[in-house]
Amino acid sequence: MTSIPPWLTVAEAGRLIAAKKLSPVELAKALLARIKTVDPKINAFLTITEKPAMAAARAAERAVMAGTKHRLLGIPVAYKDIYETAGVPTTAHSRILQANIPKHDAEAVRRLREAGVVMLGKLATHEFAIGGPAFDLPWPPALNPWDTRRFTGGSSSGSGAAVAAGLALGALGSDTGGSIRLPASFCGIAGLKPTPGLVSRRGVIPLAPSLDTAGPMAWTAEDCAILLDALAGHDPADPASVPGPSVSYATAIATPLKGLRVGVLRHVYEHDMPAAPEVHVAMNRAAAVLKSLGCRVEDATLPPLQEYNAVGRVIITSEAYALHEANLRTRPSDYSRAFRIRVLSGALIRAAEYIAAQRRRTDLIALTAKAFQRFDVLISSPTLGAAPLLSEQRPDDGFARPLLTTLANVAAVPSMVVCAGFTAAGLPLGLEIMGPAWGDATVLRVGHHFERETGTRDRRPTI
Amino acid sequence: MSGFSAAPTPPISPAEMQVLVSRAGLTLNPGQMADLVLAWRQMVGLLGLIPRDRPMLDDQALVFRLPPPAGTRESHAAGKPASPKRAAKKSVATAPRAAKKQAAAPSSAGPSRAAGKKAASPKRAAANKARRRR
Repeated sequence: MTSIPPWLTVAEAGRLIAAKKLSPVELAKALLARIKTVDPKINAFLTITEKPAMAAARAAERAVMAGTKHRLLGIPVAYKDIYETAGVPTTAHSRILQANIPKHDAEAVRRLREAGVVMLGKLATHEFAIGGPAFDLPWPPALNPWDTRRFTGGSSSGSGAAVAAGLALGALGSDTGGSIRLPASFCGIAGLKPTPGLVSRRGVIPLAPSLDTAGPMAWTAEDCAILLDALAGHDPADPASVPGPSVSYATAIATPLKGLRVGVLRHVYEHDMPAAPEVHVAMNRAAAVLKSLGCRVEDATLPPLQEYNAVGRVIITSEAYALHEANLRTRPSDYSRAFRIRVLSGALIRAAEYIAAQRRRTDLIALTAKAFQRFDVLISSPTLGAAPLLSEQRPDDGFARPLLTTLANVAAVPSMVVCAGFTAAGLPLGLEIMGPAWGDATVLRVGHHFERETGTRDRRPTI
Repeated sequence: MSGFSAAPTPPISPAEMQVLVSRAGLTLNPGQMADLVLAWRQMVGLLGLIPRDRPMLDDQALVFRLPPPAGTRESHAAGKPASPKRAAKKSVATAPRAAKKQAAAPSSAGPSRAAGKKAASPKRAAANKARRRR
């Protein structure tokens, strides 16, 4: 076994470990050392599980030497702190759960553990996956490794920061309105919000159960595909879980893109929510890259973004308030101000208004599905620009400024963000790729080929 | 924006807001109350974008499915784990059909129900279709 190459991906580390050229123990040691040096600058970790990590790494090493083969064996990962982990604090980045130590693993955590990953720790999030970034909580918000004055995006903020900074090769996030894809965009990594029901949410602290999804975040689309292979599967204990298509995502991504029909949702970032000029340039470049890969690229149209956003916000606020009502009644001051601003108005939404949002959602699901009769994937920008300064963040974001990513949550379609390139200031920009329900493999495939063609994966933050 | 007519959510005066907050069992300090007033103003704008003038018979969206009664063929199928080979074949075969069906007509269900439809047998799908026609 040799020394640890810097900046490994899940795929590369998996190959080296399988070939017995990389020791899982040495890899875990190297990353734990890096966490100690780098994490104080970016606050990605809430809990570092050094001892269990080393025990898992030693077990993985024994398994490798005994001839066990799995692409995730010995791969160091970390989890957003809303994933329950047996015996390890799971706080949701909130005072409310500061003393919560679950007895069981979330199903997604269990599946990855069974595949042989090494859990390095638990990652920062916006409070209960909605209220942040916040400075009035027991832990500071995560900072962007590309520029620590800047926002990571959220709510899977620690997951985005940890992967971008090379502190974990993969992470789990959750996505109710964009919480995997926004940090993926601002931190320059890949993140997949799968089709609802593909990945179990059992043991993931809910925000809005009718929109919540759990999914992987990693440096590349290929890494997300490898993680999804282990994560996907029916779980009868999650009422939304269904047996998805029986495919190997990591294998499916290799198929070339020639002939794929790509729709560009230009109206979303040019008209509905006009984005920065750099986003327009990046999107035009992305369309050109996909054309060069043999895709047929045309503009596509969906209902205005504001409609998806309104439906998403009303559902999220209503369901989140219902989940937190008891604590908001007895200890409202224990939540962050950002959380209260985003959730308290759920107390005033009438049942008829919530039902109207759910009914409108069924229309939007159907209208979006109709667009996928013409296109295999739709592309858009996940954000209005590169990561803003943390000081510019408003606690009422999401109300005042619609999130471009909520469209895919409301439409119940898979969606991933990959790095589209960089601004003149060196900050990453994202490309969002959406597919029809159960089109996760196609979405990952487009992301994978796009990354390979653009070479954005060769550039890392200098932290 | 599209030109649908949505019944506007009536404005709430500070006194009414206090009543509603009390009714919800909340005790907020003045700063928290001010934040809620601000947030509610924005929420009213969002609520105004959601149409409410739908036919009464339109689907209610919030539905759930009971497991089939014991003793039926479906309950046996649901209770018995299919062989991996058969399950794989079935899921691959039904997924595109479900997507097509969802695309062809406005769905009357949320994602979980729509997802449930994916696994429906052709016989059950035909029965459902007939029921909808009635």
